[in-house]
Amino acid sequence: MGNGIQSIHPFVMFFYYICLGFFAMFFNHPVVLLAGCLSLIAVNLAHGSGRALKQWAPMMMVMALLIILINPFINSRGTHIFFYFRGKQVTLEATLYGIVTSMSLLMILLLFISLNAVLNGNKILYIFSRILPKTAFLVMLSIRFVPLLKRRLTEIQDVQRLRGMTIRQGSIRNRAKSGMSIMQILLAWSLEEAIETADSMKARGYGMVKRSPYIPYRFTKMDRNRLVCLFLLFNLSVVGGFLGYGKIIIYPMLGTLHFYPLDWVVLTSSLAVMLFPVFVEGREQLKWNYSD
Amino acid sequence: MERSRNYLISVSVVLLILLVASIVLFHYRAYLLLSFIMIACIMLPFFARFEWREVAGREVVLLAMLAAIAAVGRVPFAGLPSVQPTSFIIIIAGIVFGAESGFIVGAVAAIVSNFFLGQGPWTPWQMYAWGMMGMTAGLLRNAWWLKTVWGKCIFGFVWGYLFGWFMNMWIIVSNIEALSWGFFAGIYISSVYFDLAHALSNVFFLLIFGTSWLKVLQRVQRKYGLLE
Repeated sequence: MGNGIQSIHPFVMFFYYICLGFFAMFFNHPVVLLAGCLSLIAVNLAHGSGRALKQWAPMMMVMALLIILINPFINSRGTHIFFYFRGKQVTLEATLYGIVTSMSLLMILLLFISLNAVLNGNKILYIFSRILPKTAFLVMLSIRFVPLLKRRLTEIQDVQRLRGMTIRQGSIRNRAKSGMSIMQILLAWSLEEAIETADSMKARGYGMVKRSPYIPYRFTKMDRNRLVCLFLLFNLSVVGGFLGYGKIIIYPMLGTLHFYPLDWVVLTSSLAVMLFPVFVEGREQLKWNYSD
Repeated sequence: MERSRNYLISVSVVLLILLVASIVLFHYRAYLLLSFIMIACIMLPFFARFEWREVAGREVVLLAMLAAIAAVGRVPFAGLPSVQPTSFIIIIAGIVFGAESGFIVGAVAAIVSNFFLGQGPWTPWQMYAWGMMGMTAGLLRNAWWLKTVWGKCIFGFVWGYLFGWFMNMWIIVSNIEALSWGFFAGIYISSVYFDLAHALSNVFFLLIFGTSWLKVLQRVQRKYGLLE
């Protein structure tokens, strides 16, 4: 089961990621988005994805910088003009828009780094097996076949290399051709196997009655409370967002960046949602270190 | 069969129009969010049909195996950039097993390969693009021109470009307020090489391996009486 973030029920975490994805695309106030990025970094560190974060960091930096640098030069909408570049105006609005867009994309990418680590294969399939059982079953089967097929591929490649058929050398045409011949051998081999697998499933009673799912995750009272809290805070933030808080107007003319009292409410409630896994993990750490 | 075919065509066309219309007409800010909701709406009927239909165990396993092969197809070609047989396998599966199976194989191949290469905001777009590739191949399988080798090659070539163009859409949708012709053209020009490689590799595979792969799949279909 794991502890801390890993022990939260998949439904709760799934809802959390939906909330954050929604925030990333819904709000466009730089402060809210910055808070989102920072809290997702904190969440990633909390469940030990520091290495994945480091791996992705250069790519994300380059992408964010590219958007921020390029946007003002290809887009000349807005009224606050910095300077003219080849007769086109470079505006404050376009620069700010670049910053906001890159932060929102960063937030989504950070979210997926965390999601790949927390809702790993089993958990995400568990969620979908409740909504689309047959499709989830199909995906599960398919995922199971991938390592099997990879093993077979190496086997086929080893044999074919002795015959001089390789993907590593020769013209692109020949390499693609031998790669595909290997795939065809794999296809013929695996299709027959698939039928055998299906027959053995049938022998064990597949399709006789409705499939009952094995439920490895218990939905506890604590999970329910967490879900309710998340839901309420999320709704508060979204209602605030629909009233225009936590957002700025960029085009056609930059609105105010000022933070009104209600902006603070939106920021606080959305921050509480964003940092939810950190709270859970922190509570666990405190308990571990200071209780006796 | 006729009814389900009309249903599939009308649903996908209507929803695609809705998607375009909502982006063009509404002054709504969260376009990326909207696009995810639309894609979910478009794909839901297909998955729902699959859920409700009586599917034999053999058919489920066969579809899962085809999707897995399509996803694994990226492995032996890792040394050749943007050459991968995934699209080819999806098109062949659509031609042999029909529109619905083609959609399922394409969409599932996208999910499965991303489990190993990393899920991201591009996953739903890939699911949709590959799903549609399989579906159109299945819908057009009785057209006379798709039965010829050249027809298949043209189909694969066009889809190589359509796939790339559609995948560019997610970058555009997430930047739609900054959209200018320069930006638009820049994205499409920067992807021309990759799209061309994708399209040409589709043609190459369909030309050289199309017939033999069709034979292998049709043999399995006839031998076990699956998805006819």
